[in-house]
Amino acid sequence: MAIHSLSCHLLLLLLMSSLDGLIKPGSAFIHDWDQRASSVTLEPHITGCLSRDQETFRCWWSPGNFQNLSSSGALRFFYLKKESPNSQWKECPHYIYSNRECFFNMTYTSVWITYCMQLRGENNVTFYNENDCFSVEDIVRPDPPVNLNWTVLSISPSGVSFDVRVKWEPPPSADMATGWIRVHYELQYRERNTTKWEALEMQPQHQQTIFGLHIGKKYEVHIRCRMIGFKKFGELSDSIFIEVSEVESTETTFSFTIVVVFGIVGILILVMLIIVSQQHRFMKILLPPVPAPKIKGINAEMLKKGKLEELNLILSGGGMGGLPPFAADFYQDEPWVEFIEVDAEDTDSGEKEDHQGLDTQRLLGLPQPINQPMNIGCANTISFPDDDSGRASCYDPDLLDQDTPVLVTTLLPGQPENGEALLDVVGGTSTPERSERPLVQIQTTGPQTWVNTDFYAQVSNVMPSGGVVLSPGQQLRTQESTSSTEQEETQKREKDSEGEEKKEQQFELVVVDPEGHGNATESIAQQALTTPVSPIPGEGYQTIQPQQVETRQAAASEDNQSPYVGPEFPMAQFSVPVSDYTIVQEVDTQHSLLLHPPPHQSPPPCLPQPPPKSLFGMPVGYITPDLLGNLSP
Amino acid sequence: MSLLTVTVSWALLLWPCLFTVSVPLDCKDEQVSITRCPFISQEKLLDRVIQHAELISRISEETCSLFEEMFVPFPLRLQRNQAGYTCITKALPIPSSKSEIQQISDTWLLHSVLMLVQSWIEPLIYLQTTLDQYDNAPVILLNKTKWVSEKLISLEQGVVVLIKKLLDEGALTASFSEQSLFQYEPAPDLLESVMRDYILLSCFKKDTHKMEIFLKLLKCRQTDKYNCA
Repeated sequence: MAIHSLSCHLLLLLLMSSLDGLIKPGSAFIHDWDQRASSVTLEPHITGCLSRDQETFRCWWSPGNFQNLSSSGALRFFYLKKESPNSQWKECPHYIYSNRECFFNMTYTSVWITYCMQLRGENNVTFYNENDCFSVEDIVRPDPPVNLNWTVLSISPSGVSFDVRVKWEPPPSADMATGWIRVHYELQYRERNTTKWEALEMQPQHQQTIFGLHIGKKYEVHIRCRMIGFKKFGELSDSIFIEVSEVESTETTFSFTIVVVFGIVGILILVMLIIVSQQHRFMKILLPPVPAPKIKGINAEMLKKGKLEELNLILSGGGMGGLPPFAADFYQDEPWVEFIEVDAEDTDSGEKEDHQGLDTQRLLGLPQPINQPMNIGCANTISFPDDDSGRASCYDPDLLDQDTPVLVTTLLPGQPENGEALLDVVGGTSTPERSERPLVQIQTTGPQTWVNTDFYAQVSNVMPSGGVVLSPGQQLRTQESTSSTEQEETQKREKDSEGEEKKEQQFELVVVDPEGHGNATESIAQQALTTPVSPIPGEGYQTIQPQQVETRQAAASEDNQSPYVGPEFPMAQFSVPVSDYTIVQEVDTQHSLLLHPPPHQSPPPCLPQPPPKSLFGMPVGYITPDLLGNLSP
Repeated sequence: MSLLTVTVSWALLLWPCLFTVSVPLDCKDEQVSITRCPFISQEKLLDRVIQHAELISRISEETCSLFEEMFVPFPLRLQRNQAGYTCITKALPIPSSKSEIQQISDTWLLHSVLMLVQSWIEPLIYLQTTLDQYDNAPVILLNKTKWVSEKLISLEQGVVVLIKKLLDEGALTASFSEQSLFQYEPAPDLLESVMRDYILLSCFKKDTHKMEIFLKLLKCRQTDKYNCA
């Protein structure tokens, strides 16, 4: 209700004011009224008053259409300072006629007090408008800030936009240090060819950031300020121009470097992967593997697994080709060593097999069982993993060369798997030759006896009769046969020594259980042998009748070359383990070596042998062949 | 025993420091209250007083503008200028020109401010009641008025303490409140009331502006005496 009456009052007032006539132009310049009527006669009026620093102010007037008053001095400027009800009009303290301006300096300027202006002509004609009253603080328009400058704050990674920081200094005319004037600044910017200015928020700082300007576009920036709490803005400053050209170079280099870096990283990763995956190949190329030492025909794994049968098979030269007979080189220059030679006939495989089978049986004195094909070499039975160790295959045809004397090969023990006696005779011999060989009396039960015989038979003792006591390998062979004595015969002949068979000689080998004895290698110098030694009951001895063994070469036959029992003598199976080596104790008159008997044996096998004693003060141990000569009694 | 003597001796040594150390946490809200914030530095107090004055000046200007837009018709808006000498504080001996102001002493500056503040406390309370009587007075107008009247009271407290600290004077009693400058007269009609309120607000706006400038000048003098003639 109250407001209703108020609005009615206001309406009435408006009507009244409008009825009063036109609002005089130029009046009430404080309120920026724009109502000017061109047709109305303009009387002299105050065009405006302005203060820049709240310490002084100036006013301008205009004579209007009254040209007779346009001359300077025709109009006089008066002001009224309403300090008290008794205040008087006073004339302008300082005229600037050229500008039609009245300047009020500091002494005449009072803030917070109302001033009214009027013009007076001659004859006290007064041109006064009541609306031309103001208070100084209301007419303050601060000068624009100075020293406007800009710097690029940041550029977006996409290179499209950038930020700019604009800095300025306060207007020097405004006394802001003492706090007389407190202003806020308003920054405006626009794109070069547009009309609309963008205004930023007013703030009292002396710097401001413009965000989101576009690269490549030109911008115009200016600033103005006004007093806080008052309406009038100061003038706008001069414009400055902001432009940032496109920085493609840095951008492209940036992207280029990124691409390069990523490419390098990817390539490095690939190379590493390749190296890691193909590591073995690289290692082989860079560091070729050193071949492990290995014996031809022998697989190291066999040793690990303890398959001595195969090992012996191979070592005894069956790898026919696998292993070169070591003894050959070793004893080449030993004149007193006689090699047992075997004819190396080149037979067909089938025939050879048959012959070998027959030979086996004949040698062993066994019934003729159905022989399975003999193994030549170790092809079927022993399969060696043939790796790169350099071992040749088991079957090496080179060794079957008939022209070269074949060195000793022995009757190989049969394979446990086959369960047959396996005799590996190099080259094989012809049947008629074999028939002339002395028989080997083997008191074994069967071919199984050969199963577990060793390649090497070390002579442990020599009988006066010429028999050699052999000792089997350390590894126990589970003996099927319990025979105390087994005889085996080894004969080899060469082809050219065919006709030189002599009378049968029995070659007796006495095998002694060598348990725990030190090893002693010995070679047997044996002449023609005489009566065979009676087989010794019971204890795992084997006596083999020494047979005359053909000499190596007929032409070079040397008398009474003792047959050489190579280390490849197969051993018959024994019931008791026998040591491989024993120590030669002495040599008797017959040039037989007396071996140190094993302690645990009850009666020493060689009864006629004198008790072991050292000869000539020599240490019991090995006797080298050159020392043998000294031993002759 | 030794610990006790050590603590006592330290307390005695640091005794003078107690007066110079300010306790901002307790005094963040109020400028001065001896009971609540015994220790505040002079500079900080002056800064807070100036902050108050600036804020009051700004809010008073906003209030006046708001009132003018809402209630004062356009042709009547010039009347405020004509009522320059009808402000309630016109009788106070307060200089108005810069030259004069620069010549008065610090004491006079502070006292002037205090007089102004004390003069306006009561009219503002009245203004709140009258504004409530308008039907469509915006809430913001009322809030501002209320806020200003509250802050004016705390400003008065701050100036009192400042006078005590800077001028080493005793507690000042509000001597001017005895002769109340403001006399409330019930307005005959609404328009009169509106105009009276309008003029009141305009005068208040000027006086707060004055207060602000006085206090800033004082601060300038405190920090840099020679440039702040």
